[in-house]
Amino acid sequence: MLLDIIIDGLIKGSVYALLAIGFSLVLGVARIINIAHTALFMTAAYLIYIGSKLMGLPLLLAMAAAVVLTVLLGLVVYRLFIQPIQEHEAAVLIATIAVAMMLQEVFLMSFGGHYLGVPPLVDGYLTIMGAKITYQHLLALGLSLVMLVGVRFFLMQTRLGLALRSTAQDREVANLMGMDVNRVALLTVAVSVGLAAMTGAIVVPLITVEPTMWMHPLIMMLAIVVLGGLGSIEGSFVGAYILGFAESLVVFMLPMGSFLKDSVALSVMILVLLIRPEGLFGVSFEEER
Amino acid sequence: MLLEVNNLTVCYDKAMILNGISLKVDTGELVSLVGPNGAGKSTVLRAITGLVAWEKRMKRGTTGGEVTIEGDVLFEGKPISQTPAHEIVRLGLVHCPERRRPFREMSVQDNLMAGAYLFGGKGQVQDDLDKVFQLFPVLKKRLGQVSGTLSGGEQQMLAVGRALMSRPKLLCIDEPSTGLAPLMRQEVFNKIVEIRRTGVTILLVEQEVASVFSLTDRNYVLSSGRIIAQGKGDDLLQDEVIRKTYLGL
Ligand SMILES: Nc1ncnc2c1ncn2[C@@H]1O[C@H](COP(=O)(O)OP(=O)(O)OP(=O)(O)O)[C@@H](O)[C@H]1O
Ligand SMILES: [Mg+2]
Repeated sequence: MLLDIIIDGLIKGSVYALLAIGFSLVLGVARIINIAHTALFMTAAYLIYIGSKLMGLPLLLAMAAAVVLTVLLGLVVYRLFIQPIQEHEAAVLIATIAVAMMLQEVFLMSFGGHYLGVPPLVDGYLTIMGAKITYQHLLALGLSLVMLVGVRFFLMQTRLGLALRSTAQDREVANLMGMDVNRVALLTVAVSVGLAAMTGAIVVPLITVEPTMWMHPLIMMLAIVVLGGLGSIEGSFVGAYILGFAESLVVFMLPMGSFLKDSVALSVMILVLLIRPEGLFGVSFEEER
Repeated sequence: MLLEVNNLTVCYDKAMILNGISLKVDTGELVSLVGPNGAGKSTVLRAITGLVAWEKRMKRGTTGGEVTIEGDVLFEGKPISQTPAHEIVRLGLVHCPERRRPFREMSVQDNLMAGAYLFGGKGQVQDDLDKVFQLFPVLKKRLGQVSGTLSGGEQQMLAVGRALMSRPKLLCIDEPSTGLAPLMRQEVFNKIVEIRRTGVTILLVEQEVASVFSLTDRNYVLSSGRIIAQGKGDDLLQDEVIRKTYLGL
């Protein structure tokens, strides 16, 4: 049981961290509160289902194609719907909600509300101290940790990462350093959606694919960024593991726990907003101009 | 002529902030633009380096009101009014903004590297870094420190150092001395003279008229969006009307 909780908490934490970091990047760089972020995660999961189950592609190929297509979709939506109204924050927020609902409806109409699944990449399991841990869980954990390290490397060690961080802090000054902030925003959207899609690929064998599967991760992700401090990458990371473990504990320890997981996340969010609205790693957004 | 501005007019919504500004800066000069608060000094720099045009583009579709910008800006003889801000830097027209604006959560090193964004990775810009460290040794000591925790003076050094990393031909510096103790102000002005000696042309926006006029070749006095006087510091200081009305001396 303890081991189950640890593995489950680590996987959940890593998955939420990847989602929340992608969300925070776009929030920081383009000032977009992207409610459709986890709907794009869902899109990748559906595309993998379509590729592997309906079209019979090899699973890995289906995953790669799904990630590419999801990123393209994200970029098209951004260019068509979001960028033209980017400075109008309320309109952008509403537009992203609309995009999320649209995706949900598209999948509901195409596949109904059925619970769909994708087979694991690797079969078999390991027994440690009486706990059964599938190789797919270990693989998901390993890959998500690799991705987290990769994101950190990209942000901290590459020239584009530097442009992204600079733009997130002060668009105008980034402009003065020769950074094309619109291109940086586009790149950030690609990275962010790419992260969401790859996260989808990593966990899709472990979850059920259905048209409302984006809701729970969305709630968790919002709670995480509020807990960590809006726009803070470290905050997203730390907040994700805190809430990931909290969720595992609730689900494993409490009777009917899985019905309570959203309420726990939302309670944490409300508490944080009441007690420490800037979150654990509060970033005060530099006033621009 | 390195920089030539003709009849620059900027309106925010219906307020005319700049009303037909013309000015010139020749290669090698140190020129100041002075004037009281709200005269439009920063707006001149922001218009020259493309930020007003950028703001205009970004504001489209918001309730923020219309920005209009008219007039010509020529850099090395080429018109740049239509050139986006991020490409103007590449030409060597570099803007060190008001209130220093370091990337507060980034290290000193990352701030300097951001300045060098157009010129490649660490390997390619080592010479530039060395020059900046020679000018501002304190930055070398603070390399790993998060820039938001630097003192005001150090932040100003960083802002200027970062701008130097963009390889300026013309460096526009907006109020570098504001908010600094007298000793630090003098230090900053000394550094600006030193930078000018390395061959960088400088357009300096300042309020500290007394110290600035002793450094510059020529000066422009801006008031309510118009250039109301220009010339050598001594001549301007001799003019009673200008002294009293516009320079507050
Ligand atoms: N983005 C903007 N929107 C509306 N008004 C603006 C904007 N930017 C500047 N202004 C107005 O233009 C006028 C000139 O501002 P500017 O910042 O250029 O003055 P300044 O000479 O630099 O003053 P200071 O010495 O205080 O820095 C001010 O009245 C200001 O309110
Ligand atoms: Mg100003």
